[in-house]
Amino acid sequence: MTEQKPIVFVIDDDPAIREALDSLLRSVGHDVRCFASVAAFLDAAKPDIASCLVLDVRLPGKSGMDFQKELTHSETPLPVIMMTGHGDIAMSVQAMKAGAIDFLPKPFREQDLLDAITTALDKDRSRRIHVAELDALRARLATLSDGERDVVAQVVLGRLNKQIAGDLAISEITVKVRRARAMRKMQAGSLAELVKMIDRLATEPSAQGH
Amino acid sequence: MPRTSFLPLLGGRLLMVLLAVLTAVIFVLDTITNFEIAVAVLYVAIVLIAVQHLGRRQVVMVAAGCMALTMLSFALTRTGSVASGLVNCAISLVAIAVTTTLALRAAAAEAAAREAQAQLAHITRVTMLGELTASIAHELNQPLAAIVLNGNAALRWLAGQPANLDEANKAAERIVRDAVRATDLIKRLRGLTKKAAGKAVRLDLNQTVTETLPLIQNEVSRHRAVLRTELADALPRVHADPVQVQQVILNLIVNALEAMKGEPQREVTVLTALGQPGEVLVSIHDSGRGLAAAQPDQIFDPFYTTKPDGMGMGLAISRSIVESHGGRIWAQAGVPRGSTFTFSLPAARERQ
Repeated sequence: MTEQKPIVFVIDDDPAIREALDSLLRSVGHDVRCFASVAAFLDAAKPDIASCLVLDVRLPGKSGMDFQKELTHSETPLPVIMMTGHGDIAMSVQAMKAGAIDFLPKPFREQDLLDAITTALDKDRSRRIHVAELDALRARLATLSDGERDVVAQVVLGRLNKQIAGDLAISEITVKVRRARAMRKMQAGSLAELVKMIDRLATEPSAQGH
Repeated sequence: MPRTSFLPLLGGRLLMVLLAVLTAVIFVLDTITNFEIAVAVLYVAIVLIAVQHLGRRQVVMVAAGCMALTMLSFALTRTGSVASGLVNCAISLVAIAVTTTLALRAAAAEAAAREAQAQLAHITRVTMLGELTASIAHELNQPLAAIVLNGNAALRWLAGQPANLDEANKAAERIVRDAVRATDLIKRLRGLTKKAAGKAVRLDLNQTVTETLPLIQNEVSRHRAVLRTELADALPRVHADPVQVQQVILNLIVNALEAMKGEPQREVTVLTALGQPGEVLVSIHDSGRGLAAAQPDQIFDPFYTTKPDGMGMGLAISRSIVESHGGRIWAQAGVPRGSTFTFSLPAARERQ
């Protein structure tokens, strides 16, 4: 898997700040997309690449603080770095509680921003890998037949082939065949691995891939 | 010869003599006239004068004295009908008592109102200053942040292998543009303060000082300090905004009071004098700790403060007010102790 250039989104209503951030972030090799408002950002395409958002607190229309909260609770929780012209402690606490990577009062040290962006992109990257793995598992699970799925459901509970055969009213041979086929389809090297996979799918029912 | 007055007592001795003479006159008249003439009612005037200048307890004492004299006159009077004398005496006593009660109540209400007003003015000033500062800080922060970011970007473009001169050039151009923007902002801010400079009128500084002192009297009493004035006669008028000049005087007196906290002798003197030709001076002298700073000019810089809870804006604002009127402000060590803050205002042309 070749790593595509990560994207840094910027929302700030001040064109001077947008231009400056665009130049600075391009100079360190980021792909930068700048927007003047939340609405413009929402309209823009967001490729499935590791990305993060540098967000100003004071914006026309929807405020940065509100949008950050919304984003955190959305299905695509983009890591957010907040910046503000005049922030107070209460505001920064609120932003950090809502999951901001950092809260930078303007003017800030560029290294602080670049560090925060690195952290944010790492976080988004691992979230995307995690989501992709779950998607793959879910796709593999979908290839299982009903019979195989029934057997797997019992196997992961630690039940013996004989017990499963009895419960499902099928022969022990059939249980073994279906179990082997399911392991192959799920690409599980061992029973332990299969259990772990099913466990992972069961504990994250809400995660929707994209 | 400068006029000298002790403000808390407002020519206290003279007033006491006047009141005593008036009381004596009323007493004599009340005693020598016959019972039918109720001269004692005039004691009400004594009470009304007293309430303007004396403390609550002193007023009550004066009223009690007046009532005692009324009864003494009744006892000493030899002519006329005793019955009408009794009625007149009772009427006088009731009149004095009622007047005292009402006058004291009115005075208390007036004092409370004045204090509330002073507090409100202070709060308004502090809030406005806070909001103004926050909004200026935000407006200035934007171009400053952009300048910092562009500077960093330019450095990084230059440090690249190979250096990207085109991008570095563009970043440098943006730095210049944003710096100009910040400068414009400051210019506009200056214009704003000029607009807020208020209306300059021909002003008698002695009168301004006299009118300002009652505003701070509560604060002076709270610090248990004495406020004196030494006002020069025949000062030329100045051309200035009275409210702003008042603000400078108040700022300087508040500073003087705070400089004297914990000192055994607490005395503030407000002086007016002729300075260099065409210049009128107002000085505020205190008997406080004096100036600790080696450079007395530094104390007029914004945010310079020696007080634990000070904002360091009082003297800076005072200086900008004085300078916007074409005057100067400076501080000196006091003789023999304390410190003296003086500001000058140019005298107005003697023409309508």
